Parts: sequence; C-alpha cells; structure tokens
Amino acid sequence: MKRSIRLTINGFPYEMEVEPRRTLLELLRDDLDLTGTKEGCGMGECGACTVLLDGRPVKSCILLAVQVNGREITTIEGLEKSDGTLHPVQQAFIDHGAIQCGFCTPGMVLTAKALLDENPRPTELDVRRAISGNLCRCTGYQKIVEAILACRRDGEKLDGKGPESGS
Amino acid sequence: MGEERASGSIGSSPSRLDAWEKVTGRALYVVDLKLRGMLYAKVLRSPIPHGRILDLDVAKARALPGVAAVVTGKDFPYVFGATILDQPFLTFDRVRFVGDPIAAVAAVDLDTAEEALSLITVELEPLPALFDPVEAMKPEAILIHEGLSGYALAPGIFPVGGTNICNHFKLRKGDVEEGFRESDVILEETYTTQMVQHAHLEPHAAVAQVDRSGRITVWSNTQTPHFNRKALARALGISLHQVRVIGGPVGGGFGGKNYLKAEPICVALALKTRGRPVKLAYTREEEFGAAPVRHPTRIRCKTGMRRDGTWLAQEMEVLFDTGAYADIGPRVCRNAGFSATGPYRIPHVRIDAYCVYTNKPVGGAFRGFGMPQVTWAVESHIDTMAEELGIDPVELRLRNGVEEGSISATGQVLHSVGLKETIRQAAKGIGWGEGRKPFRGKGIACMHKSTVTPSSSAAYVKLNEDASATLLCSAVEMGQGVSTALAQIVAEELGIPVEKVSVVFPDTDVTPYDMATVSSRSIFFVGNAVRHAAADAREQLLEIASELLEADPRDLELRSGRVFVRGAPEKALAISDIPLGESFYVGSKGAGKGKPVLGRGVFHVPDATPLDRETGQGKNPSTFWMYAAQAAEVEVDPLLGRINVLRMASAHDVGKSINPQLIEGQIQGALAMGIGTTLFEEMELEEGRVRNPSFLDYRIPSALDVPEMIPIVVEEPHRQGPYGAKGLGEPALAPTAAAIANAIYAACGVRIRDLPISPKKVFKALRKQKGDQEERPTRT
Repeated sequence: MKRSIRLTINGFPYEMEVEPRRTLLELLRDDLDLTGTKEGCGMGECGACTVLLDGRPVKSCILLAVQVNGREITTIEGLEKSDGTLHPVQQAFIDHGAIQCGFCTPGMVLTAKALLDENPRPTELDVRRAISGNLCRCTGYQKIVEAILACRRDGEKLDGKGPESGS
Repeated sequence: MGEERASGSIGSSPSRLDAWEKVTGRALYVVDLKLRGMLYAKVLRSPIPHGRILDLDVAKARALPGVAAVVTGKDFPYVFGATILDQPFLTFDRVRFVGDPIAAVAAVDLDTAEEALSLITVELEPLPALFDPVEAMKPEAILIHEGLSGYALAPGIFPVGGTNICNHFKLRKGDVEEGFRESDVILEETYTTQMVQHAHLEPHAAVAQVDRSGRITVWSNTQTPHFNRKALARALGISLHQVRVIGGPVGGGFGGKNYLKAEPICVALALKTRGRPVKLAYTREEEFGAAPVRHPTRIRCKTGMRRDGTWLAQEMEVLFDTGAYADIGPRVCRNAGFSATGPYRIPHVRIDAYCVYTNKPVGGAFRGFGMPQVTWAVESHIDTMAEELGIDPVELRLRNGVEEGSISATGQVLHSVGLKETIRQAAKGIGWGEGRKPFRGKGIACMHKSTVTPSSSAAYVKLNEDASATLLCSAVEMGQGVSTALAQIVAEELGIPVEKVSVVFPDTDVTPYDMATVSSRSIFFVGNAVRHAAADAREQLLEIASELLEADPRDLELRSGRVFVRGAPEKALAISDIPLGESFYVGSKGAGKGKPVLGRGVFHVPDATPLDRETGQGKNPSTFWMYAAQAAEVEVDPLLGRINVLRMASAHDVGKSINPQLIEGQIQGALAMGIGTTLFEEMELEEGRVRNPSFLDYRIPSALDVPEMIPIVVEEPHRQGPYGAKGLGEPALAPTAAAIANAIYAACGVRIRDLPISPKKVFKALRKQKGDQEERPTRT
C-alpha cells in the first residue's frame, strides 16, 4: 500500500506515492530518472549510492524513501550552478585527474563536498577517513585525495601533519 | 619558429574528454539505460557445484502475470567460449559450478522477475565435485567436461583428452638437467595464489533487443565488442551484420568484462519478447561467483645458479585452476606459460603450465593475465636464491635481467627493453640500502608482460568542415583514459587542439574492427591505426589545400589549425576556410573544389609467429613487451604480525609517455589493486560456494589502506609503437606481492609463500621462528 511523501531534491519539491519498502536509491534512479547516483552493491558497503541528506552523506541504497519524508536531498545532479558552473570539488576532480571510470565519482564528490562544508581545512588523514566509505577500484585514491585537498579554503596543501601551528 | 604546439599534444596532460559527463553524473552507463517497453531479467543459478539436472519445470513462472519470457537450455541450446566452445548460454543437462545459469526470466519489473524465479522447480542430482586442481588433474578424476575431446578449439590450445586438463603448455629451451648439473646452488619451492575478484564498481550488464527482421542489438559494457558480435552470430548461426553491439562508458573492466558475459542470457530472452528490450544487470552477489575470477594457482619453482649469481636453469610447473568453464583460461595458461621465467636471460628452461577444470567459479581474464601469479612465485624465489648466495637482490636481478637484443625464453630477440632502468629507478625511489630500523624492511620485484599477438585494429578520422575532428574506433573507454589519449594522437597529427576532437563510442555498425580492449594493447595497436588515419586525413587535406594555395603538397605544413606553405609564410589558409563538405567555393578559385576528408588507418602484425607445440619456441609471440619494477618499504608488528606498507615505488617502461597524468593514474590504481591481492582479498569457498560474496567480507582497499605511492616513468621507445609508445594498463599489480613479501622477509625473516599475506600467517611464522630458535641473518 503506497504512502505519500514529500521531498526536496536538488532544491525542487516533490510529492510522491511510494511503497514503504522502496529505497531512496530506487526512487531517485527509477522513479525520477536521476541516474547519476549509482548502485554498486545494494548493501551500503561501497558508497556509490551516496547522496546528501540535509547536507550529510548517506547511503541511499539502505535508506527507505519513507524515512526521508520532509527532508532535503542533494544528488550529484544538484551540485553545479544553474549556469553550468561546476562546484569547486567537481572542477578539482577534473583538474587533478581524479576520475577514471567515473562510477564512484558522484558518491565520492558528494562525500568530499560534505567534508569541506563541515571542515574547510582537512588534513590528508581527515580526507582519507571521510572517503573511506567510498570504494574506488580504478584510481588508488591518490588523485582523489589531492583533488579534495586542493579545495581547502585557504588553498594550502598539507603534508598530513595537521594544520600549521599559528594559523 | 617558436609556434606553440596545439594544446593536448603528445606528452601533455589535458583533462579527460569524458570528465564533465562523469563528474556531473550525466554519463550513461549500460545500467542506466531505460528504453520503451524494457523488461528486467533475473537468472536462476545452480546452488550446487556439480550435478545432473533431472527435471526443470518453468510452467508456473511462465504463467505469472507480468512475465514476458522464460528461457532454459532446452529452448536455447547454444554454446560459446573464448578459447573452447564449452559453455552453454544456459545449462543443458549438467550444472558445473555454484552460479551456473539454469533458467532466466524477463518480466515487467525486478520484483516480478524474482517472484517468477521462485516458481521454477529444479530437481538436481549431485555429482562428486572437484575443488582441488591437483586432484582434478589426475586421470581417475571425474570428468567435468566429458565431451572435451570433441569441443571446437581456438588455435594454440592443447587439451589432454580424457582428463580435466583443458590446456597443457610446454616450453623447452636448452637442457634443464644440464643446467642444474652446472649449478652451484639449486633451490626448489612451491608458491600459491588465491581466488580474487575484479570488483569493478559497475556490475556486468547488457540490454538486448531483437527487431522484426531478427536483427539483434546489444548495449553492453563489454571490453570486446567485435569479439562479442562474432561470438553471438556464430552461436546463433546468423550473419555478423545481423548483430550490433553498442558500447558506452564502462565502470571498470580489468578483464572481467572480456568476451560474452551478461549478453548471452539477455539475447536469449530478447529473442522471445517480441521486440521488447531486456535488461540484465548482475547483483554484487552474482559478481562474487557467477562472474569470472582470477585463476588461483599453484606454482613449483626450481632455480639453479652459479655461485656468482649467473642464472643457469629454471624449471616451473604452473597449475591454473580455471573453474567450471575454460573461458580464456587456456590462453592465460599459454601466455603466462611462455613468460613464466620473468625478464631474465636463462639458457636452460623447462616450463609446464596446465589449465585445469574444477567445479568452481570460472577463471577468466584479469589484469595481468597470469603474470601476477607467476611473478609472485619467481620474484619471491629470486630473493630466496639471493639470500642463499649472499648477493644483493637488486644486484642479482641486474646481473641476469634482459636488455635490448637479449633472447627470450621462446627465442625472440627482444627490442625496447627498459627493464634494468626500471629496477634501478625503483630501488632509488625507495632508497635501497639506506637506513635500517628494527622490523622495517625493503623489498624489490620486477616483471615483464607480453601483449596478445597477433591482433589488428582499424580507425577512421573524420575532419569536420570547421577543423574539428571526429574519431571512430572501437577502443573501449573503461576509465583508463584511452579515448583521451587517442584524441591526443589525432590532435598531434592534425595540429588542432585536443578539445576539438570528439571520440565516438564503439558501435560495431559504425566503428571499424578492433580486436578488443585487452592486454594493454590499445595505445599500440589502436593508437597506430588512429595515427595512420589522422595522417591520412592530413594528406587528403593538404592535397585539397595545395590546389587552392597553388603549391606542391610536399611543401605544405599543418600547424595550429592552419596550412602553411613552407618558405612563404604569408601564403596560409585556415582549415575552416578550406572546403571539406560543401564542394562549392566562391571566389577566384572557382567552384567544385574541395571534398570531404575521411582518414583511414589500419594496423596489424604480419610477422607474428605461433609457438611450437612441444618446445614453446617462436620468434615473435609478442609484438612488444612491458617492463616494470616495484620496491616496497614495510613495517611489521612483531607482536601481532600486522603489516604496514609504508611506501611503494613503481617504475614502468612505457616506451613513450602519451599523457603523464593518465599514466600516473594507471600506476596508482593498479598498485592499489596489487595491495588488495597481497594483503586483503580472497574469495573463500566452502564446497564450491562463495562464503564472502559482498564488500563486507571481501575487502578491497579503501582510501585508508593504500601506502604512499611513487610512480616513475621510464621511456624505452619501441620502433613500431606510435611515437614509441607501448602499453601500461596491466603491469603495476604484478610485482606488488613479491615486493612486499621480500620486504617482510627483510624486516623480520619471515617468508610467506601463499597469498594473501595475512597478519595471522606472519604471526604464526614469527612464533615458529622464535620457537625454532633459529638465527636468521638480518639483511643490511
């Protein structure tokens, strides 16, 4: 028996009828054709399905759509500006060669954005911890980490030792 | 002249062409395709490793509302196979591994398809199953493929009739007994490697549709579109032009998406759904078991050297556990077989490589194609010899390593051999010989790899009327960046910026033949075809321009989108001012000038040689060889056996660097995969069933699990490669395990010979070492 839910996705309001067992991932990909969010495992283990729920990264394949009634979702499609300008994290991924097959990229980018929104000057360890839930089989993570570090608010690249003392 | 080279030219690192689609989530992978009327497929797979199908009843499933088609092997009695035609699209009367597809359903949604599966009844009679290839090889073992002697075979494959051995590769060079007699030190050990999964993030998937004329279209994330077209057409007994295979962006392949995988069942269903497309995507659970794996191996290695470290004799017996069906196993066995000794000059060699059926997941192509396994054995073994001889491991490798002009184990005169430089650079990169801390150690390993030979590729370059270009070729972009690198070649040849080059996705109706995106071959083979096609387009353009500029075509130059007359720089034309489509040119030159430009390039290897069946000798089994060396620094926790890989230096001879950033990405990515194989990954089986079919229990490296990586590029140009380039996709995960194992030995005197290297194994070995009260000399 379907239930009524309301969601805001990438700034747009939606009102939908969903089965209680429908996952947020299925709703995004199959009902709304927002295919940027991917299914890599269906069990919340790989992070390819990462979206932002009120700005925090969550795994949409193990969230029910009814659980996010009334909440705000950001998918990869909602990151760029309306004039097409990419989010700094997206641009950094391109500039640093952090994309190979691209399947982990949407989830990875959203996790990175959430990290930088919360901590604008992460260390390398902070970055690696934050993205440890996003599996990538292609890149070895090196360039992804470099891209995210390049987005630090002050543009400084740290060597993993922590913020410079005195700054 | 000081003219700037066009942006994105060879040797530079422009952004990848597909970066924008991927980073915005716009890229459409096969799993994202949605077509009108599309149906969703689910597969019923064998729950037992070996058995006879006594009864199969699909009537209830067929009758379920929402089910459009159900297929079984009975209504679809076709076979396929990359080397041996031994694999049914759907099982006939036998199941041979847990995961063997018995029946398939196409329905309006996945829930209905799953419900339909539950309504299918199967009666199976279990048969004794074989899980150990050593047992399976024995003449008295139950035959997994009773019809082996009658199966159609690809050339160069030699099964042993009446057994489960589907290929036996032999290499005999010199006289190995003589070599051992002359040796001062002879050591023999056995090494093993485990079952590993590709674990590409995007699962196997295909969409198939059959139109009213019977023409079949398949959208697939395959690495081998032309091969698949032929295999499907051949199986169904129809003409090649009746089958169309279309590719798109692929979410990781690593060999797992070679040859037919999800397509056969998808096509079988689509033939019964009256034109409605059918989509089949594997679940992650199916990826761990129903999809192919890396061959587990057992390798016996016997080495004889003189006291001064001169390598005289090498004897190896390599067992490849190929699982229930041959897939490309026999060729892995052959190619790794003729490369098994590693990149060394050895006068006496004897190799026997066997490819053996068992009732387990299918061993298929996986980045490295057998080289990770043999490299593990040989590179661990060399260090054991080095220890015995008292010679530094780097020195021992340099002493015996191949060089330009060396003769390989098959008798090939080697060209473009950057091996020694990679060894020196890797050693330098890790600081070999510097600094010593307790329970820290450094290790080195090197490797070589062949490329599938012969093979061929073709390409078209369309020069558009505004001086942009479109490249049509069948190289599959699966993350490695091949479409960007090939676009750079077009840009270089035409003197236009790489941003002005677009690359079409493979489509067997449109893009010309390419053998496959495998074996690190694309830059060399497709790159050459692309280079010829772009050069051909340039020649055609200059021919047209010469008429307009009233100059000899040989006096013309193409640079930065303009055609110049050498020696008369004021006489120049922009490409966009040269009529290439409209053959109407208004002006003093008259009408009817100019015509479309379509560059055509083909590349093949007419001088390839087979290998002798008895001796494995042949002068050109590989057009080029790749070389690499890796050095690792590790720290071992003596209390718990935990291994911390601190740093790894990875040096690669690529011939010529086309795009440095893409090259670094390949090295780093493959190195991470190598770390996974060395320390974390293992598909654990119980009675043929995978116990850990998920990322929860099969751990691939996360961002916290990779060490500092130092990629190093060495360029030893190949005279036949485009700009001297060779290949790179596979090498970086082959030497990793031995480099780490050798470093662990240096750190604490423990030698592990069975992958993966787990803390438990190290811990046990340390305890034993303590208990034995042996004094092992520590390496300085």
